[in-house]
Amino acid sequence: MIATAVGNYPKIPNPPGEPKLRRGIAKFERGEIGEGDLRKIEDEVTQEVLVEQTTAGLDLLTDGQIRWEDGQTYFARRLVGFSIDGLIRYFDTNTYYRQPVVEGKVEWKEPICFGDYRFAQDLAEKPVKPVITGPYTLARLSQNGFYPSFEDLVMDLASALNREALSLQEADPPWIQFDEPAILKHKEDFPLFEEAMQVLTSGLRVKTSLYTWFGDIESLSPQLFRLPFDLFGLDLVRGQRSLGLIERMPGGKGLGLGVVDARNTKLEGEEELVELIRRVAQVVPLERLHINPSCGLEYLPREIAYQKLLLVAKLARIAEEVIR
Amino acid sequence: MILPTTTVGSFPKPNYLLKARTQYSRGKLSKDDLWELEKRATQEVIELQEEVGLDILVDGEMYRGDMVTFFAENMEGFRISGLVRSYGNRYYRKPIVVGRVQRLKPITVGYFTFAQGLTSKPVKGMLTGPYTMAEWSFNEYYESREELVLDLAEAIRGEAEELERAGAKWIQIDEPAISTRPEEIELAIKALGVVTAHLRAKTVTHICYGEFEKIYPKLLELPVDQVDLELANSNYDLLELFRRHPFTKEIGLGVIDVHSHLIETKEEVKEGLKKALEVLSPQQITVDPDCGLKTRTWEESRAKLQVMVEATREVREELGGRLKG
Repeated sequence: MIATAVGNYPKIPNPPGEPKLRRGIAKFERGEIGEGDLRKIEDEVTQEVLVEQTTAGLDLLTDGQIRWEDGQTYFARRLVGFSIDGLIRYFDTNTYYRQPVVEGKVEWKEPICFGDYRFAQDLAEKPVKPVITGPYTLARLSQNGFYPSFEDLVMDLASALNREALSLQEADPPWIQFDEPAILKHKEDFPLFEEAMQVLTSGLRVKTSLYTWFGDIESLSPQLFRLPFDLFGLDLVRGQRSLGLIERMPGGKGLGLGVVDARNTKLEGEEELVELIRRVAQVVPLERLHINPSCGLEYLPREIAYQKLLLVAKLARIAEEVIR
Repeated sequence: MILPTTTVGSFPKPNYLLKARTQYSRGKLSKDDLWELEKRATQEVIELQEEVGLDILVDGEMYRGDMVTFFAENMEGFRISGLVRSYGNRYYRKPIVVGRVQRLKPITVGYFTFAQGLTSKPVKGMLTGPYTMAEWSFNEYYESREELVLDLAEAIRGEAEELERAGAKWIQIDEPAISTRPEEIELAIKALGVVTAHLRAKTVTHICYGEFEKIYPKLLELPVDQVDLELANSNYDLLELFRRHPFTKEIGLGVIDVHSHLIETKEEVKEGLKKALEVLSPQQITVDPDCGLKTRTWEESRAKLQVMVEATREVREELGGRLKG
């Protein structure tokens, strides 16, 4: 069983830790340091976060998305066809992102994650997985001011992000993770989603995972599990109903169990979660299970986020001992 | 008078106060010294509002950091967490419920009394609502959300009633989180009802950032006299909803985009107001910006409010003429 993270990690520690990145961005905005200086700070913080995940005991890391302002603009700013507008709420959270606006035909022009991924992979002592926000979610969370139909936008994004994934594949990552939380809020769009996922994953030889959060997969199962991914990440905190649906999973596929709540500071008891893992392991063998927080950890203060990772790692160890 | 003007609550903090707040948080400034500077800033905010010619004033919330954290810090049952990011490079300390929530002492009454003492115009009592307090805190104590929300409602009711005893004629209970979880609106309505049940003051609730079509017309059941909404930054799209289902309460009509540096023109604001008047009656409307002004500069805030007041005055006169004629 692999202990992993879903994506982002708190960018600054709490006092007496030094909020390097927050200070760096403020200085950059005031023109006191240049872009190169800011990149250097991002590098340092990324390294700090890689070490923290390793120390917590994770087997598979992310780069913490320290350089991402959010999951949308990181990609939209680097694709052709987007401009960036004002703040808008991210789902039902108390956090905001700048909304991308589609102003022209969406196209991929150059690698987006490649450099950041290589940087993290070179530094980390454990394997790192790159993460790409999926075309459906990116389309849903943007404003479409160009395409006559939402479907056209989703499909062009799917092609663009497929090229991104193909370029990442050259760096030989152990996995590529795609994030698609928005499909859980628009289940009626599954036929379009399915078509987009085919395009998105076309030509990929690397192992792929599809992560969702803030809801359950009711009415999407079992067809979701037939999509061309090796593993499906589910939020089992805000989507508890999904648990009853994994029995209908086709064989050979893996699951990412989001059982540790990444949106509340309360630390879960181990026993209940081990029991849950035991139930899942009857359907999906341990070697095809990942365990992780329910979503990215940036909703929590840094020290609690770390506690949550410790718990994830510990659950994986216990599961290996007790269940195997 | 028709079309009274007001603001949603927050004003930008002057630099000396921002510095003082940092010093205070590092233990380098006493609570009394901070309070002196908060009073100075409050006085400046009141003066600005009088100069611009607003009708219903606010104290500008010079004492608040975050709208939820400020109240949590002053209640029993909360601990304040480390920093979490809200957007861009902005972080705040989010409250954690760690015990039974209670209000043991007045929270805003002193600030209200000071501000109301500076002006003969009504100053609004400003509170954060129970649903939003619960939704934007971590919860490590309550088994059910409803219990938490209702205990918070009880605590905020105490504060609202004391504001009324201190002379508040308007009490605003902000519930921006209501629009983020349409499935829980019944709970939000119930909780707000606890707060307003015995108030005789005019009650307002401010809601923003949401998919209003999912909570409308249900939101008309909120037990307050006035619902304050943002219209300017969505190009007055909400009016289409009101056309289909009439807005039956008083409305706080947001006509100024608080997220933009650009100062609206008088004509833009007048046009917005007139568009609203096609669907709403003049007696229903209080005119204000979309949301709090704390992210704008002092100069932008003044300029935006000036335009809003002048535009409203002209529309008021045109309407007055029409009513007489």
